[in-house]
Amino acid sequence: MRKQISLILLLALFSLILNAQETTEDSVSSKIKVNNYVWKADRDLTNQANHSSFEILNQEFGSAHEVTEACLSCHTKRGEEIMATSHWNWQRSEMLAGKGVVPLGKKNILNNFCIGVSGSEGTCMRCHIGYGWKDKSFDFKDPKNIDCLVCHDNSGTYKKKKGGAGYPDESVDLGFVSQNVGLPKRENCGVCHFWGGGGNNVKHGDMEIALLDCSRNVDVHMTVEGEDMSCVDCHKTEKHKMTGKLYALSSENKDRATCAECHTGAPHQNETLNDHNTRVACQTCHIPIYAKVNSTKMIWDWSTAGILDEEGNPKHESDADGNHNYLSIKGNFVYNDHVIPEYYWFNGLANHQLITDKIDTIPLQMNTLYGSYKDKGRNQQSTEPSKIWPVKVHRGKQVYDTENMTLIQPKLWSKNKGDSAYWMDFDWNLANKAGMDYLNLPYSGKYDFVKTEMYWPLNHMVSPKEQALSCKDCHTRNNGRLASLTDFYLPGRDKNNYLDGFGIVLLALAFFGVLIHGSIRMVVSKKNKN
Amino acid sequence: MKKVYVYKIFERFWHWMQALVILVLMVTGFEIHSTYNLLGYQTAVNVHNFSAWAFLVLIVFAIFWHFTTGEWRQYIPTTKLVKAQIDYYLTGIFKGAHHPTKKLVYNKFNPLQRMIYLGLKILVIPVQVISGFLYLYFHYPLKGLELDSLQTVAIFHTFGAFLLLAFVVVHVYLTTTGHKPLSAIKAMVTGWEEMDDETIHERMVDDIEIALLKTKSQYKAGEGKSEILDSALSKAQEKVGAVSCLKDNKFRDAIASSGVGYFCISKDGYYREVNDSWINLYRYDSQEEIIGKHYRLSRTDEDFAELEKSVARVLKGETINHGEVKRICKDGSFGYHTLTIAPVVTNGKIIAFEGFIIDTTDKLLAEKELLKKKLRVEEKLKNKKN
Repeated sequence: MRKQISLILLLALFSLILNAQETTEDSVSSKIKVNNYVWKADRDLTNQANHSSFEILNQEFGSAHEVTEACLSCHTKRGEEIMATSHWNWQRSEMLAGKGVVPLGKKNILNNFCIGVSGSEGTCMRCHIGYGWKDKSFDFKDPKNIDCLVCHDNSGTYKKKKGGAGYPDESVDLGFVSQNVGLPKRENCGVCHFWGGGGNNVKHGDMEIALLDCSRNVDVHMTVEGEDMSCVDCHKTEKHKMTGKLYALSSENKDRATCAECHTGAPHQNETLNDHNTRVACQTCHIPIYAKVNSTKMIWDWSTAGILDEEGNPKHESDADGNHNYLSIKGNFVYNDHVIPEYYWFNGLANHQLITDKIDTIPLQMNTLYGSYKDKGRNQQSTEPSKIWPVKVHRGKQVYDTENMTLIQPKLWSKNKGDSAYWMDFDWNLANKAGMDYLNLPYSGKYDFVKTEMYWPLNHMVSPKEQALSCKDCHTRNNGRLASLTDFYLPGRDKNNYLDGFGIVLLALAFFGVLIHGSIRMVVSKKNKN
Repeated sequence: MKKVYVYKIFERFWHWMQALVILVLMVTGFEIHSTYNLLGYQTAVNVHNFSAWAFLVLIVFAIFWHFTTGEWRQYIPTTKLVKAQIDYYLTGIFKGAHHPTKKLVYNKFNPLQRMIYLGLKILVIPVQVISGFLYLYFHYPLKGLELDSLQTVAIFHTFGAFLLLAFVVVHVYLTTTGHKPLSAIKAMVTGWEEMDDETIHERMVDDIEIALLKTKSQYKAGEGKSEILDSALSKAQEKVGAVSCLKDNKFRDAIASSGVGYFCISKDGYYREVNDSWINLYRYDSQEEIIGKHYRLSRTDEDFAELEKSVARVLKGETINHGEVKRICKDGSFGYHTLTIAPVVTNGKIIAFEGFIIDTTDKLLAEKELLKKKLRVEEKLKNKKN
């Protein structure tokens, strides 16, 4: 009998230990299970057409528009497709809480980096997939204005001209590029998406040139050591409409590219971890830090801009890492690398501070991310519960109209002095007026600088799983990652002080009670023996 | 000083499994509470969740056992002797006083134990289990039912944990208040507890009393035997002469139907006479099978050695309440009974020894308890009439 009991006890202990180890057993090297994905080793790359054999491309192109015509002569309907996308229009319909459906996009939105494109199209449209958007007169209906090459160049020689409103640089051999086209590579997307805000990794923090050739530690998906994935492997595209969106610009919970698309909603062997996904985004644990190689901009203070050197020329000052920390045209910056994200509840819906909106909170939220612990997907437009997301917060100080209490779109860029462009003339009043006039909006003539915050939910630079956050990063008493999310009870972080106090007193009473009782018994029994 | 079989096999298995599981839950639970780092948070959570299920399974088995064996009655709270028990722990224990309550077969807990254990069973553990499983499964939405916040369940769960932990501290300490510091723990491991002669006598008397009451209830009032039983009962209740009264021949017949076994063994150890109850208890088919056999065959070697010592004392003229012993039945199975042995004297010489056995296996316990209750009710009714 006794043997049986000890056997059962042993078995029970054993199963406890086994159960605990179960989750740590799967090795790194083993291939994880994915859906909707073709492994690199199984991909067939041979079926892309060799464009150099096409007669129409074997010519000296007189202009970039002629290249587009050549493309569209075979790819007949593709022009219409592209002209329906936000890559072309730089705006789309977005539903904003309290504001209804508004046209929203890079065309009209304000941020706290270079503020906005209006009035500065000549330089900003270097990142538009078209030719010649230099001002409001640009014809969005003319398919000849489409720049096919910026996305489809596989030669690596195509580039757009600085200040050229989207036209290619004169050095580009259009014929050669047109014969070497294919699916967009990381370089094609990266030329704009890595360089947003005027420099590498300035805006996103998790998207930069390091991704072109990175180690597994930087990005498990794009690393050349692994699957070497391109952007479009996740940002699946149909009729040139790409999935995946940026909450710097959008507000609705649609057309998103998700981890679950390949990894499913329950990728872990451990059920507790899978359960976490109900309220915690994959990104939260799997993107523990961002800006893993080059720095990203964290703070941009426009209010200090305009200080010129003794000769009246703009100044360029850099910090120890070689990142700008002062530019006369832009003000002060703070860059940082290996940044720990901030964490927010997010249900997939965002709002945006439009140029016509009044400023009512400081710091002003440029793109409010909606969500809370209590938002479990029923009371809000979003059907899913809010999840905790890692976010890069870019903090700025930018110009606003102190009378109208609205943000200002200043005119920043011009080729020439005397056009009221701030970057040439360094006069805020002129720049503000020119910018607001361009948009037919009022400017009182009085301005100041307001603190603003902009939120960039992180999605890229996914770390190897060994580097993912572990339980204790959040489930810890002090200084955990989620220390600022105080609207819910988090086990291991939170406790009820009265209860814990009571518990300690109770245990102390029990211990000392037993100790004292026991001591008296021992003393008494010794006495009795003596 | 003798050993008495107190804790049944399942009871011990259940107790120690429960101890293990609660210990594991405690260690991992307070790690999850961020009281310390030991196993690592994830391991702690996994082990805690697994143990929770193990605990639930154990609880289901324990509930089944308590109800099928009638052991649940051990936990019926009583106010009788509560004050005595408290006084004992506060003062008596230091003066070397005896425990105010005796460990009887169907009443093995003192009134404080009854209260505390019942509290654990119907309050603390259910709260822990319910809050624990809510905590585990219903804090995420999309499962139909969800908690608004974990805070409330977490507070209940932590509160329960503190109570349990405090209980464990005091409980472990109180195990040292047995006959010897380790007696109680040894008893919980082996099932056999060392008890002093007085307690054993008490247990014996109690068993006899029950047997008498049972017999009495089988006779209708007014019939002749009732008087014999009444006098025996009053003797027994006075806690003296309970054994000697059994030796009355008339009485012996009377109680045979209540399941009290009688035996007579010759000086050299061979069965001379047994009654039908004895045969039933030992699972023999007839007298012939056992008469003339040595009593060694119904004992384990270990028990036999101890019994021989007692027999030697009886043969010198003592009457012994041997307390609880284990018997080996004809088919090899075990049973338990209380045993009393007295010498048989003929012409001034001890020629044999005889005694009574009262079965104490589980089935009887429930019966006895029921009977006691019934008699109490009858008594009350009688008092009312008067």
